[in-house]
Amino acid sequence: MMGRLALPRDWLASTGDLAKFCARVLRDVYGARVFRFFGEALRQAGILILSSTLVIWGLVFIIGLQCGIEGAYFNRSVGAPAYAGVFSAWCDLRELVPYGFGYMMAAKVGTGFVAELGSMRISDEIDALEVMGIDSMTFLCATRLLAAWMVLPFLYIAAVGAGFFASYLAVVQQIGEVSSGGFFLIFWMFQNPPDLLYSVIKGMVMATAIVLVGCYYGYNAGGGPVGVGTATAKSMVLNIVLVHLIGMLGTQVFWGANPRAPIGG
Amino acid sequence: MPFGIGRERKHEDELPPGGGEDMTWPEREQEGGAESPPPVEGGAGDAEGPSGNAGEGQRPTGDGEQPTSEQPTADDEAAPEAAEEEERSRVAVVSEPERGAGDEEEWKWHTGLKRPTGVPDAIEFIDVHKSFGRNRILRGLNMGLPEGKISMILGPSGTGKSVCIKHMVGLLYPDEGDVLVHGESVPNLADDELFEMRKKFGVLFQDGALFGSMNLYDNVAFPLRQHTDKSEEEVAEIVNRRLREVGLADSGDKMPNELSGGMRKRAGFARALVLDPDIVLFDEPDSGLDPVRTALLCELIKEVHEENGGCYVVITHDIMSARRVAEHIAVLWKGRIVESGPADELFNSDNPFVRQFLSGEATGPLGME
Repeated sequence: MMGRLALPRDWLASTGDLAKFCARVLRDVYGARVFRFFGEALRQAGILILSSTLVIWGLVFIIGLQCGIEGAYFNRSVGAPAYAGVFSAWCDLRELVPYGFGYMMAAKVGTGFVAELGSMRISDEIDALEVMGIDSMTFLCATRLLAAWMVLPFLYIAAVGAGFFASYLAVVQQIGEVSSGGFFLIFWMFQNPPDLLYSVIKGMVMATAIVLVGCYYGYNAGGGPVGVGTATAKSMVLNIVLVHLIGMLGTQVFWGANPRAPIGG
Repeated sequence: MPFGIGRERKHEDELPPGGGEDMTWPEREQEGGAESPPPVEGGAGDAEGPSGNAGEGQRPTGDGEQPTSEQPTADDEAAPEAAEEEERSRVAVVSEPERGAGDEEEWKWHTGLKRPTGVPDAIEFIDVHKSFGRNRILRGLNMGLPEGKISMILGPSGTGKSVCIKHMVGLLYPDEGDVLVHGESVPNLADDELFEMRKKFGVLFQDGALFGSMNLYDNVAFPLRQHTDKSEEEVAEIVNRRLREVGLADSGDKMPNELSGGMRKRAGFARALVLDPDIVLFDEPDSGLDPVRTALLCELIKEVHEENGGCYVVITHDIMSARRVAEHIAVLWKGRIVESGPADELFNSDNPFVRQFLSGEATGPLGME
């Protein structure tokens, strides 16, 4: 009986540890403790911009192309090619841009944090920070979260633009069964500014979860290089699950009750 | 949580009533500094035997416990002047705890003898116990590390030396007992107080623990930039001086992965010294170094100590390093002190374990187990 309970008990304990860690990092950011190390936060923001922007935009651009192509072929098959913009508006903004953003954040930024902080842990760098009288959790984790919050909304909105542009290219320029004006008429009809806000919120919740999970697994890594590898894999699994969970809940909360579709009056 | 988050604070009400703990650090420093305590008569001789403990006051071990034959008894009350004199001359508060008869064999060589050093202790371990799972590392450690000297904690591998360092700086907390730094109880400090206290320390980790994302100059400048308001010119002056001291004046722009093991250690040393700490801890500075570089590093430690003073604590199991550098030695085995005291006295100790370990002989109490 005890053996059977051991696994769920471990999971519960890990979840509790993770929750405590997240609460501590969030407190450091909201409580402005992190601003003691604002320079480090700016450095992390710079690293995020330089190392992750292009790869996220690139992925979202490809997803935008895919969305446009899918929408154009489907609408042609039902005899309404002019309505291809609906797909671009909904598929891009509400679902695939957040998911693409979340996937690349998890793969690039989340695992990067685990590897970086994990190797700092096993080479005593975090202990060195602590014995210098520096709160390592604030310095390493809260600064990364603040940097993500400073940079990612803009990066995300630009990614949405990249997705829209790719869909436009696929539907209007490549397949070409609808004019530019016709595409945009439907495209803008099926979205409004609150949709963009909700989409940004979805993406930022994903980003926050990914940064916190990455920091947690990296900061608490142990067991040498193998331990860091294991922590990286675990963080990726949890992040992918969280990305889908947040995506699903976001859609339900923001568009479940009112899809805001101008259909049937 | 092994890494300093989720710290436990369960010792606030459990502090052992130490004999000298009511004496604050400055008081003790003043007393120790004002007059050197007279040598304990027959100190070594008196202490010979399984639980001899010459030259220091006995810390009460708790209600109901019977004093051992070596501990002060009612007879002492008959000689208040002698007791008072002893109290005055005492500079450390630690003592070896009582041992049960069943432990006789295991602690056969642990006399716990602490030879007087003439100066107050900067760091004190009081009956510290620490376990990791079933693995009991520290098992009632009582140790004092004197102010102003280079102390070495020597002992076989896996005996808890590095764990000691982590207790000193509050990276680990004792399961039982207390660790005092300049009279302050480390496990009972609030987070902010702990971070403040840590500024007294410089620590050289085994591999230097340099930040991989910064070059050597920035690594050494890091504590100054974080903790002081010095201008970049002042920072540069201090950093360059420290780098010159450790022979890395021309390597400031190198990244840690471009340095050899010895250079990384020296760079770590420069970083540890940059805030002029009162206490510098070295975790096996000789590990992975060839004998010549080990000797050079030891010389460097001595030179810097002569220049800056303070309490230097070196963890090692290299006897040659101990002979070169140590002014005070504590021999640790099975999580307790076997003997401690001035280096020259320890090297002439009659204790078979200490003699075997400090001469590196194969035969003696210490085997492969």
